[in-house]
Amino acid sequence: MFVLSGYEYLLGFILVVSTVPVLALTASKLLRPSGRDPETRTTYESGMEPKGGAWIQFNIRYYMFALVFVIFDVETVFLYPWAVAFHRLGLLGFVEALIFIAILIVGLVYAWRKGALEWS
Amino acid sequence: MNLAEGVQIVSFGLLGLAMIGAALGVVLLQNIVYSAFLLGGVFISISGLYLLLNADFVAAAQVLIYVGAVNVLILFAIMLVNKQEDFDPIIGRWVRQGATALVCFGLFSLLGVMVLQTSWSSSTSGAKPAVDTTVLLGEHFFSDFLLPFELASVLLLMALVGAIVIARREYLPEEIVSPQQQPPLTLPERARQPIAISAGTSSSPQSTSE
Repeated sequence: MFVLSGYEYLLGFILVVSTVPVLALTASKLLRPSGRDPETRTTYESGMEPKGGAWIQFNIRYYMFALVFVIFDVETVFLYPWAVAFHRLGLLGFVEALIFIAILIVGLVYAWRKGALEWS
Repeated sequence: MNLAEGVQIVSFGLLGLAMIGAALGVVLLQNIVYSAFLLGGVFISISGLYLLLNADFVAAAQVLIYVGAVNVLILFAIMLVNKQEDFDPIIGRWVRQGATALVCFGLFSLLGVMVLQTSWSSSTSGAKPAVDTTVLLGEHFFSDFLLPFELASVLLLMALVGAIVIARREYLPEEIVSPQQQPPLTLPERARQPIAISAGTSSSPQSTSE
């Protein structure tokens, strides 16, 4: 059986949100001057002139942060049902969740000691 | 057919079309950045399918993890890749492509046979929609699915430690080949650069992009 109840607000949000970029782009297209001189075609109209290609190799630290974020994101998603059903689970569920967190804190300590969380 | 069923069928069709179109774009587009963003579209469509199956928590987790984290990770991996270099053409490329096509077709036919041979009616007819799926998930996590739940934390720990070990290679290779003597790259991979972040000689984007 299919119950799509309670999703009316989500549907409304999707409708409103999908009209925002359309409205913004069409409004700016209607309002802006249509003349095109080469100065407006530059990337930064009043800034520095960009040189070279845009596709450069980024620092690997961005990747490290994203990686650590993925791990703890998954952990948070696993802990959310525990928090919702906390009153039904009792003390045993609390201890089990503590074991779960303790195993992952080992990883956090390892990442911290190895300096994966530092930017410098 | 009441209104809810019609809405369900229409949204299922829209989601399926969006998912197949985005997946085709992932495979067929030349620019890898477009592929990554279209992969996010595929994930969002899958999350919509979860919503249609009354699995609201799984849908939220799908958006949170796959779109919010995994896709960002893929985009960062693309940002790490250098700009296009000239590679030698792979010898016997059609053999690899044929093998890949064979494996993909085999997987597809396996899944197709599985879908056709599963008796779906017994599993969907008597199923009552759960009142609060998140509470049910939590109860199952901590009663009869406790071992997989705890093993998931061990898996996450392994992924974290392994990623740190691989990403932060804290040694310099013994023989540092000068760029002039390097053989031309044969595989579509970037040459491994000796990095030692802990020693303070990090590779900044300015120094490598030249």
